[in-house]
Amino acid sequence: MSEYETESGLGDDSAPGDQEPGTHSVSEGVRNYLIGVALAAGLTAGSFWVASGTSLIYVPGVPMALAALAIAQMGVHLAFFLHITTGPDNANNALALAFGVLIVGIVIAGSLWIMYHLNVNMMAPNYMMDVHTQP
Amino acid sequence: MLGKLSWSSLPLNQPIPLITSIVLIVIIIATLAWLTAKHHWPYLWNEWITSVDHKRIGIMYCVLALVMLLRGFSDAIMMRAQQAIALHSPGYLPPEHFDQIFSAHGTIMIFFVAMPFMIGLMNFAVPLQLGVRDVAFPTFNLVSFWLTAAAVLLVNMSLFVGEFAETGWLVYPPLSELKFSPGVGVDYYLWAIQISGIGTLITGINFVTTILKIRAPGMILTRMPIFCWTSLAANLLIVAAFPILTASLGMLLLDRYLDFHFFTVGAGGNPMMFVNLIWAWGHPEVYILILPAFGVFSEVISTFSGKPLFGYRSMVVATMAICVLSFLVWLHHFFTMGAGADVNGFFGIMTMIIAVPTGVKIFNWLFTMWGGRVRFEVPMLWAIGFMITFVIGGMTGVLLAAPPADFVLHNSVFLVAHFHNVIIGGVLFGAFAGYTYWFPKAFGFRLDDRLGKASFWFWLVGFYVAFMPLYVLGLEGMTRRMQHYDVPEWQPWLIVAAVGAVLILIGICCQVAQLVVSIRNRESLRDHTGDLWDGRTLEWITTSPPPHFNFAVMPNVTGEEAYWGMKQKALEQRRLTELPDYKTIEMPHNSATGFVTAFFAVLTGFALIWHIWWMVIIGLVGAFATFVAFAWRDVSEFHLSPEELAEADHRRREARVALVEGREPGITPVEYSDVPAHGTYKSGFHMDPDAGYKGPASKRITTAYGFWIFLLSDFVLFSGFYASYAVLSHATAGGPAAKGLFDLKIVVLETSFLLLSSFACGMATIASNVRNMLWTQVSYLITGLLGAGFLFLEVSEFGKMLAEGAGPSRSAFLSSFFALVGLHGLHVTVGLLWLGTMMAQFWAKGFRPDIMRRGLCFALFWHALDIIWVGIFTNVYLLGTSP
Repeated sequence: MSEYETESGLGDDSAPGDQEPGTHSVSEGVRNYLIGVALAAGLTAGSFWVASGTSLIYVPGVPMALAALAIAQMGVHLAFFLHITTGPDNANNALALAFGVLIVGIVIAGSLWIMYHLNVNMMAPNYMMDVHTQP
Repeated sequence: MLGKLSWSSLPLNQPIPLITSIVLIVIIIATLAWLTAKHHWPYLWNEWITSVDHKRIGIMYCVLALVMLLRGFSDAIMMRAQQAIALHSPGYLPPEHFDQIFSAHGTIMIFFVAMPFMIGLMNFAVPLQLGVRDVAFPTFNLVSFWLTAAAVLLVNMSLFVGEFAETGWLVYPPLSELKFSPGVGVDYYLWAIQISGIGTLITGINFVTTILKIRAPGMILTRMPIFCWTSLAANLLIVAAFPILTASLGMLLLDRYLDFHFFTVGAGGNPMMFVNLIWAWGHPEVYILILPAFGVFSEVISTFSGKPLFGYRSMVVATMAICVLSFLVWLHHFFTMGAGADVNGFFGIMTMIIAVPTGVKIFNWLFTMWGGRVRFEVPMLWAIGFMITFVIGGMTGVLLAAPPADFVLHNSVFLVAHFHNVIIGGVLFGAFAGYTYWFPKAFGFRLDDRLGKASFWFWLVGFYVAFMPLYVLGLEGMTRRMQHYDVPEWQPWLIVAAVGAVLILIGICCQVAQLVVSIRNRESLRDHTGDLWDGRTLEWITTSPPPHFNFAVMPNVTGEEAYWGMKQKALEQRRLTELPDYKTIEMPHNSATGFVTAFFAVLTGFALIWHIWWMVIIGLVGAFATFVAFAWRDVSEFHLSPEELAEADHRRREARVALVEGREPGITPVEYSDVPAHGTYKSGFHMDPDAGYKGPASKRITTAYGFWIFLLSDFVLFSGFYASYAVLSHATAGGPAAKGLFDLKIVVLETSFLLLSSFACGMATIASNVRNMLWTQVSYLITGLLGAGFLFLEVSEFGKMLAEGAGPSRSAFLSSFFALVGLHGLHVTVGLLWLGTMMAQFWAKGFRPDIMRRGLCFALFWHALDIIWVGIFTNVYLLGTSP
């Protein structure tokens, strides 16, 4: 509907994935992606290094460190590749994302919490339940 | 050649299904013959089957729901009859048939009656109430409908060919696993629900985008009618919850088809995980059904009390609170599975809390009626019947929310009585209220009053007679789904319940008669005004039925209850506003995409159910080709000139002028305004017009936002698979564990490929923004090659594991690993197919806006796959192998 198309300047929102107005020059755009790729690569390298069993990190803290690095990297991807910002033109996009993250969190955390309790209360130990190892 | 299909699949030795099949086939053939003889096909094809008009689609959804209501109800009355006579006797239904009937009844009533009815009403009313001409994605809307219809066809095919599930409507494993249900019944269920689930998800995305991005100028969110708010909440729930259903049924399919071990009893599988996941969808689902019904009641009660809705803002807050809280109560469906006191306590309390916003709503409706001039028209009767019935159902729900009480009542017919109490008394009454309320808007004539009232009373009384005895029986210890029993005290109650079902049957007959009588008397029932009920929202400003473009000029909204404000203004001035300035508008073309997609969906589903693999391939290729063909179209819209609009609008204004001048007889002495009038009702809510909403967003924003919503639903899909992986990752069943199995070198390589591919995709975005074809294509090519490299590495990794005997059938851990990582790989594969198509389109058609929009969506998709991959390599590979 060209009626909508001509109105595109009117809206207060920007499309998810579109870069902010003003950063449309090619070099700036490329630089943006380059920064993103560099940060993401650095964080990925950090994750693999942490998981490789370095003695610099207290071993029980490894999962925490990995989680922190992963969340940071997801943030980098969101900011530099998907161009989700905190600006007012992105409020709708960020709200939708927040709702999605909330649901993802509820599903994963809730399932783990419930299943952990069910396992503790209900299940015989794994080796007893398993037909392959049953005597 | 034909897989598991053979002559023995037909019910030749079972009289009841055989006779039903023959009768139904005869009816269908007769209908088709009649349509052909009367040459109705061109009309049906052009005006309905391929129509992308949201009103037509909404009507088709409602018709589908009404037809399936008949099917679901015949199951119900068969069960009531069986239980009324089955004391110390086998009754007339053999157990395997009885089991199929209760499974089909639940499946059909929820998925193919309640859902389509609510979606139908939303389709019809939401764009009209928002003052716009269509939904965000009209063709996808039609695809949604036809996918639902495809699923309906599959479920009903099980009546003739093969069997239906005997496992109950939620196919709990391990009973639904291949070992215990080797037949095709569960497969019919699974594929039908997966297909309709895709349709429902598209609907959810469509309506969230429509409501948030496409509204008439000035329609800020807090001026939207409550029905739009509840539709928004319901569709947000669809987007967030349906992927969980897809995930859990997908895992069950993998178990059944590819020997995975998610929910099996052996190899570390955990059937309780299925129950957990399916209810994480199942509880939001009941709010997906009831929230739109709440919206209907809000509109109906406000209209027929002649007052604005009491507590509009508390209604909005309550709706959105329910939207979130509904995701925090799912465990109350399985208190007795044994999660222990603290988990049960939390979910019990959350369940009681969610009753609070619902209570707020009940009081709001009561206060809306209080002091109003209540007109007891049929929709209002349904609303009042709902308020009384639903409160009783809500009370028994709060009772069941107390875990100790639930331990006594779980799986009893008390529960059956409870959820029928809220679903019939809430959802179905809401659907009927909406049906009667909007019927005159849809067809231009009202439904017969007397038969409507008769139907209401039979339904209401029938409901109480049918279900109150079940509360008693539940407390006496009768469990649900009993084919026969040997407790003589139960029988009198079951006979009473069967009488109730007969009363409901009379109610349904009244509804059928009402429809027939109303169509025959349509001239005397005609509504010339377009505002039959003295309405308050924008759908009543246009004619009945509305023109296909809804509004010649988009209404300019300046306050709450937009139409009511304009109407009052015109009443004061006793004249219509000036003739508006008509501008050319564009409307979407009809499309056969939905119908053709559904055809291939049925083909694929049927082939999968019967293991006819060559037909599966034909179906999938056909569906893909359909979408490519649709994406290749050059002209998607047609123009309506100002002259055409002026002419169409002229007729509407004629009727209105007659009303304002009091020439139209037989109508309540209320007068009518016209579209662009400026009136603000309830000045307390008046907003600064400059701060308002400026009208529908551009297509680029709308498309990308819709796709963004889809991506969020995709994240939820992954979260279901990821949750299973997290729960099952230690269930190695003596087989290989993560440590020593994964090769991190390959993962590093895979990750770099994906990252670089993402970068290349970014370069393509920049190149296409400056319209540089060479760099666009080169960057996309690099994107694709790197993606293909990733896939190659993943496939060879999988191949190596399979060769080492570490395949998905080895243990639950490996099943969940292959499913999670494989799902990501499947996404990459789909991305590559998409990319190839899109590159060809860029090449052939240049930088056209619609192809640019697709480029934007593809970029979102491709970058989102990285985010998911980050989650996978961290949690699966690194956490699995780290010390």
